[in-house]
Amino acid sequence: MKGQRFLGLGYLGPYIIGLLVFTAIPFFGSLYLSFTKYDLMSSPDWTGLANYERLFTRDRTFFKSLNVTLLYVLLTVPLKLAFALFIATVLNYRLQFIGLFRTAFYVPSILGGSIAIAVLWRYMFATEGLVNMALATIGLGPIDWFGDPTNALLTITLLRCWQFGSAMVIFLAALQSIDKSLYEAAAIDGAGKVRIFFFITLPLLTPVIFFNLIMQMVQAFQEFNGPYIITQGGPLKATYLLPLYIYEEAFKKFNMGYASAIAWVLFTIITVLTLIAFWSSKKWVYYAGDKRS
Amino acid sequence: MKNTRMLAALAGTAFSALAMATAVQAAELRMGWWGGESRHVATQKAIEACGAKYGHTVKGEFTGFDGYLEKLTTQMAGGTEPDIVQVNWPWLPLFSKDGTGFADLRQVKGIDLSNWTDADLTAGSMNSILQGLSVSTTGRVFFFNTTTFEKAGVPIPKTWDEFFEATKTIKEKIGKDYYTFNAVKETAHLLTILTVVQKTGKDMVDPATNRVAWTPEQLAEGISFLGKLVETGAIKSQKEEAAEGNVNLFEKPAWAEGKISGSYEWDSTYSKYADPLKDGQVLKPFPILKVAGAVTDGVYAKPSMVFSISKHSKAPEAAAQIVNCLLNEPEGIDALGTSRGLPASKAAAARLGTQGEPEVRAANAIVMASAGPVVSPFNEHPEIRAAFIDTLEEYAYGQLNADDAAKQIIDTVNDVLAEYD
Repeated sequence: MKGQRFLGLGYLGPYIIGLLVFTAIPFFGSLYLSFTKYDLMSSPDWTGLANYERLFTRDRTFFKSLNVTLLYVLLTVPLKLAFALFIATVLNYRLQFIGLFRTAFYVPSILGGSIAIAVLWRYMFATEGLVNMALATIGLGPIDWFGDPTNALLTITLLRCWQFGSAMVIFLAALQSIDKSLYEAAAIDGAGKVRIFFFITLPLLTPVIFFNLIMQMVQAFQEFNGPYIITQGGPLKATYLLPLYIYEEAFKKFNMGYASAIAWVLFTIITVLTLIAFWSSKKWVYYAGDKRS
Repeated sequence: MKNTRMLAALAGTAFSALAMATAVQAAELRMGWWGGESRHVATQKAIEACGAKYGHTVKGEFTGFDGYLEKLTTQMAGGTEPDIVQVNWPWLPLFSKDGTGFADLRQVKGIDLSNWTDADLTAGSMNSILQGLSVSTTGRVFFFNTTTFEKAGVPIPKTWDEFFEATKTIKEKIGKDYYTFNAVKETAHLLTILTVVQKTGKDMVDPATNRVAWTPEQLAEGISFLGKLVETGAIKSQKEEAAEGNVNLFEKPAWAEGKISGSYEWDSTYSKYADPLKDGQVLKPFPILKVAGAVTDGVYAKPSMVFSISKHSKAPEAAAQIVNCLLNEPEGIDALGTSRGLPASKAAAARLGTQGEPEVRAANAIVMASAGPVVSPFNEHPEIRAAFIDTLEEYAYGQLNADDAAKQIIDTVNDVLAEYD
């Protein structure tokens, strides 16, 4: 029995060491650094709340970046979830070559976060890029995708939405697990497809929607590659998301202490929004067999 | 006489190298640098040749200039930087404020320091500790695509007034989509500096007070000059540049086709800009254009990058052998050529003689022959550079006028400088 306990610890050991070394220590290390002035080359100097005081009282760039980040999350998460659910619903039908379609729609998720795709996106949406060429064939455009501050954020949002594959796969699995007898009963009662979707499919998907919502929200708050490669945060900081600001403060300006403070504010925002989502889920997420239902 | 000096320099270097060769064990080394395609190719050949000479394996870690500072910062913070590091001269105060960021090159055996002037060694020192060896002296010059100017039948301008006339003619004769210049990001920053230095005769930083030496009115005039370049169609607006994805000049099809026909670049980067040009087009360096009422050429000349050795290197003497080979020995000198500009090492300068790209030599000669105040490394401090680039963008988008932009830049720069009081 005692030997089995050690065996268990042995199996857990690598994970615990990894968690401590690569997550817990950097996590709490950055909390400590957020109260210091640290230029990476010399020892950190304790400055108390000075970084937070500067952040909330004097840093215009922080508030600009925070606004952009919140707008980005607000645009990206619903759009991506809606698109992923739409495609999952289509792929749930028994179509010819369905396996091929499912794979094809999942591929952008694997490629989407890569630098190469970000570079490709930059060329596609450039003034004389593929997108404007396509628009020209139907008499539209050209649209200034990157030069106009409003469009630039939208272009970055589109890149994120295009990577809908992982959310789609989860929706697809959930759709396939819905009991078919519910659809049959609704059909016998004379419900149309739209009514069935909104009164049977959607309520039964709410746990998965909730899961995807949390995951996509956290990922959106951490977006970096797209704005870094495509717009470098511009123009006029219209795509200057907080992770980009953290990165530049830490590694371009050597203000690791200040960057850590921004990172902790970002972490707090994500935590609060996640808690709100969990609290609100009691009112809109349906779990089969839940005593409240 | 010149040949005798060259032989003496090479003989001394060879002797030092021979003395070291027997004492150092074969090592696996890493070397990091930034650059364009031609520099990457030359450096890979050089480290291969020098590695083979001393029995070391040297792995190259190279990239473009964008992102190199961040990469090196991360490595320095974690103590994982390559054994041999190419460092931009203005970054020395960032990485080695007190002279302990890199290995002390006077203490590492194997480098023949007699190949550098005292001025070079001082420029590479922090707190009197030698942290980097100057690879070359560099400066910004004007490159013009002479083919485009010939096509329009206009001579290469010698003053900014002639330049604006040439722009008008080129647009009328060849096409409105032709631009005579390119100035975005750091080039816009340095071009603004250039015009203010020409008018005032002063570098941005007053060494006596460690504050900005210019008045807001003087800087505002420089910023307005940038606005004039856009208004006259000499350069694309920042909005247009952003719309095209902020692509590097040498990657732009318009540059390759000669539709952008000039820029203000480092003398050593000639190949990076000449190589992409389509067949038959000629790029040449030209003397610095001056604004009306200029009191100096305003040349932006400085020690170029330095080679440093990591203080964490497990084989510093092997790294020193490679550095010495790259900068002072025939194998390294021949392979590197002028890929980093004209070398500062006497041995390399003597061996190359008039070898190397004539255009790089011509560009460097322009830099050396031009006058200007001593350039402070703070001109390229990352926060100061960001202050210029961000504010110039706000000006370009009409968010600020030139006066407000100038005040904003001066306030921010002074705040940064105050941290070094």
